[in-house]
Order: sequence, then C-alpha cells, then structure tokens
Amino acid sequence: MTGQEIVFTLLGVVAVGSAVMVVTTRQLVHAALWLVVSFGALAGGYLVLTAEFVAWVQVLIYVGAVVVLLLFGIMLTRAPIGPVPRSGEDDPLDSGNRWAALAVAVATAAVLITVLVMGFRDSRIRLEAGGGGAEPLGGSLFRTWVLPFEVLSVLLLAALVGAIVLSRTDIGAEDDEPGTDIPARTGGPAPDGGARVGGAKTGAGTDTGGRTGSGGSKGGGAKVDHSAEIAGAETDVKGGDGKAGAAEGSRGGADGARGREEGGG
Amino acid sequence: MSVPLAAPDPTLQSFGQDPWWLIGGKVLAIFVFLVLTVLLSMWVERRIIGRMQLRVGPNRAGPFGLLQGLADGVKLALKEDIVPRQVDKVVFVLAPVVSAVPAFVSFIIIPFGPTVSIFGHQTPLQGTDLPVAVLLVLAMASMGAYGIVLAGWSSMSPYSLLGGLRSAAQIISYEIAMGLSFVAVFLFAGTMSTTGIVNAQADRWFAVMLLPSFLVYVVTMMGESNRIPFDLPEGEGELVGGFHTEYSSLKFAMFFLAEYINLATLSALATTLFLGGWRAPAPISTVWEGANSGWWPVLWFLAKLWLFIFFFVWLRGSLPRVRYDQLMKLGWKILMPFSLGWILLVATIRGLRNEGHDMTQVAIWAAVVIGAVLLLSIAWDLVGRGRGDGGEIVPDLDGGAAPEAAGGFPVPPLDAPHYHGVAREGADVTAHKEVASGSH
Amino acid sequence: MSAGVHIIAAPGDIPAPHIEYGQLAPMLIVFGVAVLGVLVEALAGRPWRYRIQVPLAFAGLLAAFVWTIVLAWRHEPFHVAAMGALGVDGPTLFLQGTILVLALVSLLLIAERSAAHFTAQASALPGSEAEQQSMSAGITQTEIFPLMMFAVGGMLMFPASNDLLTMFVALEVLSLPLYLLCGLARRRRLLSQEAAVKYFLLGAFSSAFFLYGAALLYGYAGSVRLSDISAQAGQGAGGETLLLAGIALLSVGLLFKLGAVPFHMWKPDVYQGAPTPITALMASCTLVSAFGALLRVYYVGFETLRWDWRPAMWGVAIITMVVGAVVAITQTDIKRMLAYSSIAHAGFLLTGVVATSRQGLSGTLFYLAAYGFTTIGAFAVVTMVRDAGGEAAHLSRWAGLGRRSPVIAGVFAFFLLAMAGIPLTSGFTGKFAVFSAAVDGGATPLVVVGVLASAIAAFFYVRVIVVMFFSDPEADGPSVVVSPATATAVALGLTVTVVLGVLPQPVLDLAGTAASQMFVR
Repeated sequence: MTGQEIVFTLLGVVAVGSAVMVVTTRQLVHAALWLVVSFGALAGGYLVLTAEFVAWVQVLIYVGAVVVLLLFGIMLTRAPIGPVPRSGEDDPLDSGNRWAALAVAVATAAVLITVLVMGFRDSRIRLEAGGGGAEPLGGSLFRTWVLPFEVLSVLLLAALVGAIVLSRTDIGAEDDEPGTDIPARTGGPAPDGGARVGGAKTGAGTDTGGRTGSGGSKGGGAKVDHSAEIAGAETDVKGGDGKAGAAEGSRGGADGARGREEGGG
Repeated sequence: MSVPLAAPDPTLQSFGQDPWWLIGGKVLAIFVFLVLTVLLSMWVERRIIGRMQLRVGPNRAGPFGLLQGLADGVKLALKEDIVPRQVDKVVFVLAPVVSAVPAFVSFIIIPFGPTVSIFGHQTPLQGTDLPVAVLLVLAMASMGAYGIVLAGWSSMSPYSLLGGLRSAAQIISYEIAMGLSFVAVFLFAGTMSTTGIVNAQADRWFAVMLLPSFLVYVVTMMGESNRIPFDLPEGEGELVGGFHTEYSSLKFAMFFLAEYINLATLSALATTLFLGGWRAPAPISTVWEGANSGWWPVLWFLAKLWLFIFFFVWLRGSLPRVRYDQLMKLGWKILMPFSLGWILLVATIRGLRNEGHDMTQVAIWAAVVIGAVLLLSIAWDLVGRGRGDGGEIVPDLDGGAAPEAAGGFPVPPLDAPHYHGVAREGADVTAHKEVASGSH
Repeated sequence: MSAGVHIIAAPGDIPAPHIEYGQLAPMLIVFGVAVLGVLVEALAGRPWRYRIQVPLAFAGLLAAFVWTIVLAWRHEPFHVAAMGALGVDGPTLFLQGTILVLALVSLLLIAERSAAHFTAQASALPGSEAEQQSMSAGITQTEIFPLMMFAVGGMLMFPASNDLLTMFVALEVLSLPLYLLCGLARRRRLLSQEAAVKYFLLGAFSSAFFLYGAALLYGYAGSVRLSDISAQAGQGAGGETLLLAGIALLSVGLLFKLGAVPFHMWKPDVYQGAPTPITALMASCTLVSAFGALLRVYYVGFETLRWDWRPAMWGVAIITMVVGAVVAITQTDIKRMLAYSSIAHAGFLLTGVVATSRQGLSGTLFYLAAYGFTTIGAFAVVTMVRDAGGEAAHLSRWAGLGRRSPVIAGVFAFFLLAMAGIPLTSGFTGKFAVFSAAVDGGATPLVVVGVLASAIAAFFYVRVIVVMFFSDPEADGPSVVVSPATATAVALGLTVTVVLGVLPQPVLDLAGTAASQMFVR
C-alpha cells in the first residue's frame, strides 16, 4: 500500500464513521456537525485523487454553504435544537422504523458494495497530477457539457422563482401598501426588533423565513401579521385610504411587539 | 544581497521543492508574523482611533504603549475561564478553535515576495501555492463562519444565538459577492494561484484594470470581517456581545485573535489580488530595477498590508453601524447584481480580445454600455422615486416591514426547549457559581 | 496534457463549442419565453402580468411548434447536436411536436380565468385571513406561466437527450416546476400541498436512483453517452454486474416518471391534488416526454442488451396494466380514477417499448399523441363540472349529469370510450398499433394480458357513463360551467380523438416516417 492509498482509506473510514454518527446522534446540531466532518473527509478523498478544484469546491459549497443553511434551518425552526432525551414511545427522533431503516440501509450497502467490488475489482486507474484541476474541468464543462451546464442555470432560475412563489408572504400586498411597513418599536423596544436574521426580504433565507413566520411566535405575532396585512389590502381594494391602513398597521405592530415581549418573558 | 538580480519570478512549479526544515520555518514564520501583526494592529487601532477622537490612546505599557496588545493578551489569558452550566461543552470549546484555525490557514498561500535565497536554497517567500489557492481562502472563510454560528448556538443564550445566526448569514451573503469579485481577476490572470495572479500584475495592477471588482471586494471585505460598519453580529446595543457574549478568558481571546487575523488575511488578499502583491508601486519600480527582487518586496507587501489595516481602522473610526436589513440589501441586491453585470462585461471584453478585436473600439463600446446602464438605473431610480411619493422613506425608519418580524422574519422560537425547559431548573445554580471566584 | 503546463492558460486554448442553434431552436424558444416571463413578473405591474404572460406563452409555444414542423419538413440528415448532448431525429421531433401541441392545449386550461384553478397566493396559509384577502383582492399567481414554460422546456429536452447527464438535467428541469405547480391549487389546498410534497419527495428519491444508475453505467462504459454505452455493451466489455445494476437503477428513475407499477404510488395522489390543468399537463406532456426518454434509452443505449431487459419490462408492463385497471375500479374520485387509467395506459404503452422494433416505436408515438389529446380533453371536462366547493370530484356527484347537460356528459363519455379503446376512437387505433407491433415482436402473451386489462378497464369507464346517464341527478348537483378557453380545449381534444379514430392514416404515416430512421446515436 502506498501512502496515498493509506490516506485515502483513512479518509474513507472517517467519512463513513461520521456519516454513521450523523444518523445516530441524538442532537440535531451535532448531526449537522458530523455531516461537516463527512463532507470534509470526502473533500480530502477528492484531493487524494488529484481533483483539487472539486475538493475545494466541495468544501466551499457543501461545508461552507449547504450545512450552514442546514444549521439555519435547525436553529430558526421549531426543530429540537437541544439534546433530545430518549422517551420511549413518543420519541421525536424515532419514527418506529428504526429496524426497517437499518435493514434497508444494510441491504443497500451490501448490494452497492457487491456491485462495485465485482465491477472494479481488477481495474487500476493511474492518477495524473492536475487531472482533476480547474482547467480540464472547465474545458469539458464549457465544451462537451455546455448545454446541460447552461440548462442547469435555467433550473436554478426555476427553483428561485418557485421558492419566492411558495414563501414570500408580502407578494399579495402591493408594494406601496403602508400597513405592513409601520415601525414595531412604537410599542417599546422589542427585544427581537433587530433579530431579522437573513429575513425573507433579504433573500438569504426565504424558505426558513416563510415557515418560521407561519408557526413561529406565539401570542400576538402571527395574528397581528394578518391584521396588518388585511389593513393594507383593504386600503388597496378601496383605492388608497392610506392613513387608515397605516394606523391599523401600527397598532398591529405595537401589539405584536408587546405580544412577543410577553412571550419571551 | 547574494541573490542575483535575475532570479526569476516564482511560478507554481517553484513549490514543493523545499526541504522539510524550510517548510517548517516558513510555517513558523507565518505564524509568528500573524501573532505579531495581531498584537501590533490592536495597538495601532486603538492609537489611531484615539487620535481621531482627540484622545491619546494606550500609552502606558512599553514605549508608546506598544506592548498594550501583549498586556491585554496576558490579562485575557489570566482571567477565569467561565463555562456556563447549560452550554453544549464540546461545541462550546470547539467553536473558538474552529474560528481561529482557518484564519491561520488562509495565510499560507499569501506571497510575501519573490524567490529569495535562504541558507543557499532558492525558494519563494510564500508558504505554498495551489492551482486553486484563492478558492482555499474562500473555503477557509466559510469554515470560519462555523466557529461563530456554533459559538452562538452552544452558548444556549438568545443573544448569542441571534448574533451567531446574523453573522453566519452575513458571512455567507458577502462571500458570494466576494467570490464574484474574484472572477474578473481570474479571467484576466488566467489562473487561481496567487503566484500566477501576482505575476499577471507585473505591468498593471488589477485595482486599476478592474476597479469595480476592487471596490466590490473592499466592501465585501468589511462584511466578511464582521467589523464596523458591518459589525451587526456583536452589536452591543442589541445583542450585548453577540455570539461571544458567554465567552471569557482564552476562548474569548481566540475569537479576538481570529478577528484580527482575518483582518490581516483580507488585507493581504486584497494586496495580492488587486494591488500587485509584493511588486513595488509604479514610481519605485520604474526608477529602481532591483525593487522587485530579493527581500525588498517584503517591504512593499507590508506597506500595502498596513495601508489596508489602517483603512479598516479609519472606517471604524468614522462610520456608524448600518442596519441589518440595509446590510443584507447591500449584499444581495446591490453588490451581487452589480458584480454579475460587471463579470458579463469583463468576460465579453476578454472574449473579444481573445478573438483579436480592436481593443480601443471595444473599450469605447464598453464605456457606452456602462454609461447606458448607469443612465437607465438613474432613470429607473427617478421614476421609482416619483412613484413611491416619498413613501419609501417612512417605512425604512425601522428597517422594513415590522409587523412581519413575527410573521415574515425568522425569529428564533423564544420558548424553545433549551431556553426554558431544561434551563429553568438550573437557572439559580448557575447564578451562584458564576461569581464564586475569579479575578475580574 | 502534462502536469502543471496547463495551469496558466494561454487565452483561447479551449475551442468554442459548436452549437446548432437552428436545430435546438424549439427548446431555446421555450426557455427564452420562460425567462422573459420571469422578467415580466419582475418588471410589469400586477394588473399587466396576466395580460402579458398568456399571449407570451402562447406565442412561444406556437413559434416552437412551427419551428419543429419546419425542422421535420426540411428532412435534413438527422444528427447529434450541441456537442453530442441532444439528438435531433425523427422520433424526437415527433415527440417534441406532440409535447408542444399538448402544452398549447393545456395552456388553454391553465390560462382559464373565469374559473380560476390556481391559488391567489401560494404562501398564504390555507384557510387564513390572508388567503381570503388576497382572493377577494382578485390577485392571481402569474408565476405559473414561466414555471410551466420551464417545465415544457425540460420536457422537450428530456426525450432528445443523447447522454445520461443531459437527460438527468432535463429530468430535473421538467420535474421541479411541476412539483411547485402541483401545490398551487385554489381549492382543497392542503390536499394540493400534500400532493406537491409527496411528488417532490418521491421524485427526488427516483432522481437519486436515476443518478446512481447513470454513475454505475459510467463506471461500466467510461462514458455517459448512450451510443458509447451501447457500443461497450455490444463488445461485452467490462463487468456485467455494473451494467445490469446500472440499467436497473436507471430504469427505476425512468419508470417512476411514467408511473409504471411498482413506482406508481405518487400518481393517484398527485393527479388528485394538483390543480386540474396541471394534472392535464402532467398526464399528457410529461407522459409523452418520459416515454420518449425511455424509448431513447432502451432503443439506443441498451439496444444490444435487449434480451436482458425485455423480461423485466414484460413483468413491469403486465403488472402496470393489471394493477392500473383493477385498482381503478374501486376509485370514487374522478381524478384518481383517471390517474389509475393513466397508469394502465402506461402499461399498454410499455408493450410498444417491449416490441423493440420500428413498428413498435411508431405505434408508441401514435399512441402517445392520441392518448395525450384524449386525456387532456377528459381533464378539461373535469374542470367544467363544478359545484360550490370547486370541481365536483366525487363520482357520486356526477350522477345524472347526462340529463342536466347531455353535451358535456356525452363528450366525457366519448373520451372514456376512447380510453377504453372502442373502435372509431383514437384509443382503438393506438392500442391496435401498439399491440400488433408487440405481437410481431413475439410478445403475444403480453398482448393477451393487455387485451384482458383493456376489458377490465372498459368496465370502470362504462360505470362512469352509467352513473352519468342512468342515475337520477342530485338536487344540489354540480353545474357545468362552460368558458371559451376550456371549451376550446375540449373541442380540440374531441376533434383529435375522433379524427385519429376515423382517419388515423395520415398521423400513422407521420409516426411511421418519424420512426423510419429510428433514433440517432
């Protein structure tokens, strides 16, 4: 075994081990962190296989963006972000399919391993330095695969439009609607007045934004939102009784802030 | 200076030929350099800000207060290390490390100078280089985000969580614009290796040739570094200390260290990508042949680096903090579309040049296109303002749609189990323990 | 290329790819219109959007269709375009033309305004005040038009893909907008959202199968190009295991899109939950597109392995026909029943694939065109029969429709008979074409099963007809809302179903000509 092979094997062990941890840990955030380790080990594997560009892009995209978004999803929704205690029957992390899932996983792994071993047992691939670098990759991407590559951007555009359609709640109301835009601070310093982490408007987390909003804060929050929207929409329908809507909205906003303060203790 | 003036500029092939002691020496040197830079830049920052605010600044420890950074460091290290009871211990301890280590790693690909002779070995003044070196910096920056978001989460405190999330959102958003600002550089350098990029700037700095990219980078640099005017993650008025509210002693020092190293890394990257790296600025290099060989380039590099660090401090002394939604709007709605448009233009120009078109004509057309876009956007603005009837200004007072704060914006659930459920029982006990002993 | 030398690129040492824009124009037009639609959403004021989007979408689809006809007319030697990514050949052009026409008819339903099918605001919670407010404000979600165009673009690309990677991209481009569109129904929104989530999760799962299969085939052949895989398999090179496992996984991904039986679970739920115009789009265009891709993969990529995959395909075809026909009997929801009927039809179509002959190919092409029109017409009728809660979905509500509005009930009965394959309808001609090809291909037992399944299927089609014409109408039964666009769609569906039943020869000839050179490779 050469040094390269040993490193590759070790990385594989790390990747598989951390992947197992992802599904067995009882802390969702830890699961995400183990996923980072797994992705990192994969990136290491790419490096060993001389696919330098792919490796760093793996770190950049999967480790740097995908899992961070995953963490956002966990932390901004009502997912259990603390350790989940084992609680028998109604364990939130146990759907009751544990054994079936295990059986399927083991069977899948067995089939795949058999297939790969039978398929590649005797084949040896000689690695050349730079074979997976940026330039060969770019060359084939922009020559042979240029059409699928361009169409992928169309796919991303469609996904983008779809995400906005599904999550943007302010789309129904017109832009110049005053009701929704009135300060919340009128009701006192809202503790989370500055807490709009990557809100829907910014586009950073449209998805989580919409969802948290729908079930996010108890008390006044959710209801006020609608009343304010209605106020705005009414002005819209009537053709612009702006002031009434604004007043409604500001009252709603104040209520919302108070409600949240109470909710937060 | 024993090095012949004709020592060729390093290329990617110059790496990977050093003996082990030289590699170790380089790594150690970079480490020491970074630590010293941090200590010094803390002093510099406080002195400059002091001067800007008509104060003196620290002047007690050592000559001119130069040892102030060291004193602060020692003080931090000797403080009691408090680990609140409810935190997730492993992650809580891991987070500062995750934050600091990538910051150190990025610097390994920064070129300090050309090929020099060290104990008879011809070697470039640079840790190492990769064909995709700049990607490494970006990857490390995104790794650094983990330190912050995990610190925020593991502290199990709302302020920390919010600070951590804010910061992660900010870093990710600005990293996209930052990556886009690099694209034009890659297009013109034809490589992503820092050596190659510095070599490509032998005639003209990219800051001149690709001014818009440079400007975008400078803004995103501020965003990435989590400093004023973009220091929302630790906005004292809103979040106490942000993600590091619960940290103390050495762990806090690690965050501090990471922040200042990032400052240095971002400045060094700006120098490398846009300001010609270690190459001497124009009047010097035209007059003096030897300015770009031997050890002199280190001087030019350091001068540019410190210029940037000064710029950071200057901004901190003069700008107020922006609002979070403004920050995000700037990142997503201005910097990113602008960068994309600019890349389109640059790629077109580059493509035309490759096909051998007349460059002056291309330049004229490019200017026409830029002018048209500017005019259009101004016209759009004017029309939009007329339509908005001034109503735009009013809602902006509080940063967008406030009633949506509950309905539209992601507000962490305040009744999540780890704020109350478990925490409530132990709340009193923690309060006792915290002030039991210590030197603060 | 030696190590290191390539790092610093000399400008322009990657030659520019050669793209045959003229040959790809139908697809490019559709994608272009979709992007334009997004721009309209971004820039046009709300009152203008619908008025701009609808003509834009119609114009785009029409232009693409005309261009397709021109391409087919010119009889250029067929070849592989866009650096080998897409094949432009007879069957592909026939399929693309069919998809475009069917999309045009579906667009008539989607653009229907008098009986809006789509939610006013997808992000408003079902049953919330915000939802009612946006409804009463008369807002419509006009993003459906660009999304639909994206999906149609993907559908055009899917059967044309000449390699597995392009095919996967096309699969995603066609699926993703459909997942979204499924969740946008105006009434019974929870059902609709559930359908969207189910479709999305299962679709993502099947995409993973497809991708894994493609990876294994790449491992086998060292290329994802269908012709290379075929060539490698012809030489018997490499490990059989990789090849067979790859084919199996790839087939799962493809059969899922058709809704062939072990992978049909999504179809009833999604067809029921989705807005009916989208159901029509899926039942016609997606089916055509997915069959096109399946045909290309099996006729080009796995042609040399015919004896390996045919037994499995036999099995799938048989259970698809039988399960589709039998389970449909128990359905009480019209849309669910049509979904199971669509599953059964996928089984009938698979017999044409099993034939692996020119005749089988042309028969399948004809069947796809005929069935597409019939099914769109049927779903269009479903949108017209409405009561207070929207479409009258339950079968019992359709009781006595024949007395209240005999024309509509008669038309629906005709569509059902066409689906059952009664002579003088397009369904009969289609089935005949496919079954005779299968018999020639030596799949007589399969055809016997097919005929039996048709008989079972005829039972539940006739049952609906009986309910409509021979039972007493409910007092508060649904009324029939006739609006011009939907009526046009129904009329088109009816005309094609009749014409293809009475005078099928021109289209049969067209399909035969299209199939005469088979697929390019």
